[in-house]
Amino acid sequence: MTFEIDLDGTRRAVSIEPAGQGRFRVVVLGEPRTVRAERTSEFGLSLTLDEASGRSREVTVTPGSNGELLVGLGGRTVSVSVDGRRRRGGGDGGRDTAGEQAVVAPMPGRVVRVLVSRGDEVAARQSVVVVEAMKMENELRSPKAGRIKEVAVGSGTLVEAGRVLVVVE
Amino acid sequence: MKILIANRGEIAVRVIRACREMGVPTVAVYSDCDRLSPHVAAADQAIAIGASEAVRSYLDIGKIVDAARRAGADAVHPGYGFLAENAAFASACRDAGLTFIGPSPEAIALMGSKTEARAAAIRAGVPVVPGTERPFDASASDGEIARAAEAIGYPLLVKAVAGGGGKGMRVVDARGDLASAIARARSEAGAAFGDAAVYLERRLTRPRHIEIQLLGDRDGTVVPFVERECSIQRRHQKVVEESPSIAISRDLRERIAAAAKSVAQSVGYTNAGTIEFLVDRDDRGVDAFYFLEMNTRLQVEHPVTEMVTGVDLVQWQIRIAQGERLDLDPRGALTPRGHAIECRIYAEDPDRGFMPSPGVIRAFHPASGPGIRDDSGVTAGYTVPVYYDSMIAKLIAWAGTREAAIARMSRALAEYQVLGIRTTIPLFAWLMHQDDYRAARYDTTWLDRVMAERARRQASFNELDADEETLVTIASAIDAYLRARKGSAPADAGFGMGAWQRTARSEALRE
Repeated sequence: MTFEIDLDGTRRAVSIEPAGQGRFRVVVLGEPRTVRAERTSEFGLSLTLDEASGRSREVTVTPGSNGELLVGLGGRTVSVSVDGRRRRGGGDGGRDTAGEQAVVAPMPGRVVRVLVSRGDEVAARQSVVVVEAMKMENELRSPKAGRIKEVAVGSGTLVEAGRVLVVVE
Repeated sequence: MKILIANRGEIAVRVIRACREMGVPTVAVYSDCDRLSPHVAAADQAIAIGASEAVRSYLDIGKIVDAARRAGADAVHPGYGFLAENAAFASACRDAGLTFIGPSPEAIALMGSKTEARAAAIRAGVPVVPGTERPFDASASDGEIARAAEAIGYPLLVKAVAGGGGKGMRVVDARGDLASAIARARSEAGAAFGDAAVYLERRLTRPRHIEIQLLGDRDGTVVPFVERECSIQRRHQKVVEESPSIAISRDLRERIAAAAKSVAQSVGYTNAGTIEFLVDRDDRGVDAFYFLEMNTRLQVEHPVTEMVTGVDLVQWQIRIAQGERLDLDPRGALTPRGHAIECRIYAEDPDRGFMPSPGVIRAFHPASGPGIRDDSGVTAGYTVPVYYDSMIAKLIAWAGTREAAIARMSRALAEYQVLGIRTTIPLFAWLMHQDDYRAARYDTTWLDRVMAERARRQASFNELDADEETLVTIASAIDAYLRARKGSAPADAGFGMGAWQRTARSEALRE
């Protein structure tokens, strides 16, 4: 079985074949290896990449709230998608700034203020909407310089994560 | 005595634990989204008080007083946040014949106004940070405020008179930013506290935040405790606290503690409270301290004081409210045994500007072992609600020395598992290894400066090396393989509680 694993924007094809007694033949980037893996709990896996070393690592693989997988290792957590089941929302890095861009609510909350109107010219990173979530006011900024094409919410609107607030063109 | 806890989450659990140890029955209150909260399960009784929005439940004085009456409670512990520093709530409890486990409504009102509290400190002969002595209400003109700002000088802070916890506070570096900062502070304060009045205060550039916990009884005895160091802050909110502070000499400790005691005594303070100070080192290397404000309640970070003094502050709150006299040894309260550090675990993503990360906690394994204290308010299967503060737990490490406490905290953070949401744990794991932290070379601006610098170069607290990336990639694929072979849904199709589990849990809830 082959899976496409996307970690931080880097996609790798991983093929997995069972090799008996908790072992798997794994090929990543053309490099074959035998990995020992056992479930330690519903979300936990104990992995041994090199049996001779006797070193096993505990990895957790858990569904996150944005549709991505959260993979935990040694106190750190990274987002992973399997076979293109991509997270919504995404990070700020590497976003394409051509064409229309939406300012999207990153979390559920309440719109406190809308700082722009339709037709306004805005600079990149200019604040456009203030959303209160979990008792803090968060300023959401325009992803690009441009003109406000649409304001989809008003002050006081309760918004879910992923809701489009403002469109910049 | 039967105590109703007018709060939720970890602090409600903390108070219930103290009550259990004293054999005092407890009543929890809960909003719609908190029915499965651990504090509800921990209490002897639980009363529903309404909708999830705090104003319709935990901030509704009438509903809480009514819940106390219905449950037959005769005392109320407010915890921190919500109504804990609301004089009207303390009065309403008194009027309803309920013992409010905290100071008098008069003391709350006096010290709750930051400008009145400053005046009280000045009267007690304690230095304050230069600032405006009278608040600006909503009718104050921008010109009037700007003139006051010129007199104080920049940089300065705009602070809500009713504020706290970094809400309703803005830093102003230059006069051009004053008007917008005032508008934002007012809007936030109006929404959070229902009071848009603000005042101005000089911003010390590199201060440490040092605070003194104290207890006062009804006979006027006030016992101050060894200081807490709370300079590790993000956006003016504490995230790591410790006791004692290695920046405070014994002489300075005694002077600050004496100042705290005289402020508390001058206002007839009873029960637990904390006086916050800024400590600033001048060009000659001399430390000066300034009264900042008083919190008329139990603090989030009270466990570090408990760990180094062996005093249970919550049990003392209850005993004082029952009319007991404080018989603590004042020398012992000022003499720390070992060192304690607390990390506040928030459901926030430190890699994305501390963006809240609500959602379902799929698995929860707090750290344990020698010297570790877990004060948490969540469990596996619990959904972190979007309605309240995002702190889900506190992790406290105690050891004989600061160095050993840091090592212990590091060990515990690596054990700690909160699966399904992002938390501030990776930030703390990183922090414990920073030279500046280990050498205690920091002030209240340090973490924000470091975070801004890291954001510029897009550094992550969750960085993996190449081998770890390979490991994570293989683990993700094996996980997908095992789930596919088992015929179960892939991991991202959701693994909430099953219907049977849900039914069993709701049946286990008392009315």
